[in-house]
Amino acid sequence: MSITPVYLDHAATTPIDPRVAEAMQVCLSPGGAFANPASIHIAGRESAALVENSRQHLARLLSTDPKNLIWTSGATESDNLAIMGAANFRAHRGKHLITMPTEHKAVTDTFAHLEKSGFEVTWLKPASDGLLAVDELESQIREDTQLVSVMHVNNETGVMQDIREIGEICRSRDVLFHTDAAQSVGKLPLDMSELPIDLLSLTAHKFHGPQGIGALYIADRPGCRVLPIMHGGGQERRLRPGSLPVHQIVGAGAAAEIAQDEMAEDLVHARALRDRLWQGISDVPGILRNGNADHSYPGILNVSVAGVEGESLMLGLEPVCAASGSACNSSSGESSYVLRALGRDDLLAQSAIRFSFGRTTTQQNVDVAIERYRWSVDHLRAIAPRNRQLT
Amino acid sequence: MNAATTYNEAVRACFAEPAYAGDLQGSFDQTLTADVSESEGGAQVALAAGIQAGSIAEMAYRAWGCPHLIAALELACETLVNQPVQSLENFDSADITQNLAVPTEKTGRILLVEDALATLWAQVAGADT
Repeated sequence: MSITPVYLDHAATTPIDPRVAEAMQVCLSPGGAFANPASIHIAGRESAALVENSRQHLARLLSTDPKNLIWTSGATESDNLAIMGAANFRAHRGKHLITMPTEHKAVTDTFAHLEKSGFEVTWLKPASDGLLAVDELESQIREDTQLVSVMHVNNETGVMQDIREIGEICRSRDVLFHTDAAQSVGKLPLDMSELPIDLLSLTAHKFHGPQGIGALYIADRPGCRVLPIMHGGGQERRLRPGSLPVHQIVGAGAAAEIAQDEMAEDLVHARALRDRLWQGISDVPGILRNGNADHSYPGILNVSVAGVEGESLMLGLEPVCAASGSACNSSSGESSYVLRALGRDDLLAQSAIRFSFGRTTTQQNVDVAIERYRWSVDHLRAIAPRNRQLT
Repeated sequence: MNAATTYNEAVRACFAEPAYAGDLQGSFDQTLTADVSESEGGAQVALAAGIQAGSIAEMAYRAWGCPHLIAALELACETLVNQPVQSLENFDSADITQNLAVPTEKTGRILLVEDALATLWAQVAGADT
């Protein structure tokens, strides 16, 4: 018998909005716009028009010029292009880079790769609430620092960094600032016309668009450039070669348009759901909320609980679909490196559950999560060895 | 979903309604106890057996670990209750591993069950000598 999942893992990916799926039919239906947008014939031009229309939708969402956006396959590629591309472009000026160990693997692994290639990386640890001390960042910037990368919303904890202040410091020191905004684009207002951000990574599937399509924002200002990391055709201003996936781009554009229209409502909805869930489980003995509650995106709630084994906790939660640590990393079996960086011990990090909400989440979904979480914790504590039980 | 977190129906049933979890309820000629763990902070098994007239009259366990470990303890207890106490010696968890479709990377956890049973048997053997 199949069980209907209760999906509370929107930070991993979101279901495609039906309106997005419908928009994509313009490409996917028989006779649809399937042609390569790089082709100069009529069919190609039709595809190219769709691509540019979507770029405009995304540009409006970010309050920027469409020419500042490069289509990629998603946030991981955008992060790689931004970080490696900018580091390599400015390598002749210096090889010092700054980031945090709590970034997504797409960022930390890219910096680790650059470290092996001769760059020097300063890894700034956040405080135990996940927030970066901005004065600490400022003190670490040197004459040879070329790039700072700090994510906007942490994918595990939901903690929001002060990207405006970080960006202002970087601008004042002539250092490029990249932010991985995979968890915030389409969910939080981002006005690139006034934010001091040079490079911003995003992906459509985090805001009810299709998987496999993202973008990199590159500010139009002197010194802000990236070198390509792939080579081939001259697509996307020669920065990202490869035939563009028109149907996915159309989906990304539609998702951006909907997100812009419904962002305020979505935020109120997410906050109500998160507060309801926290209210329903906050009295569980030994529970801890991970990350600064006052500086976090309301669509994510991350909790650890003492005295309970994480994998069994996850099975007890079914049919609720939530994440144990970072979903992208959850198959590794290791406890969350993000939570360990915040000072959680291995056992607390391993017991962490990330609940994340989206447009389609209902109060009933949250109530099921409350019931299953409480049952799972009680169940596992009842069978735990005496020395592992809470005193 | 990776293999390590894929559970068959047997694992799910044992996990949801563990019949042997908890403490021994009866009084016995001899009570055997074992407490074994993978490492500090890792999986842990506290196993107990009540021996009456040379038979395993009751078994109970407490566990801190993954669903496969909990299910393996359930099946081990189910297999051994009402068997001669000698059944504790050289208990082979191969059938349990197969029935629960325990993934290779978790076989170490299942060996904890064997370790706990060997500890119980050592108490019987020690009492005999």
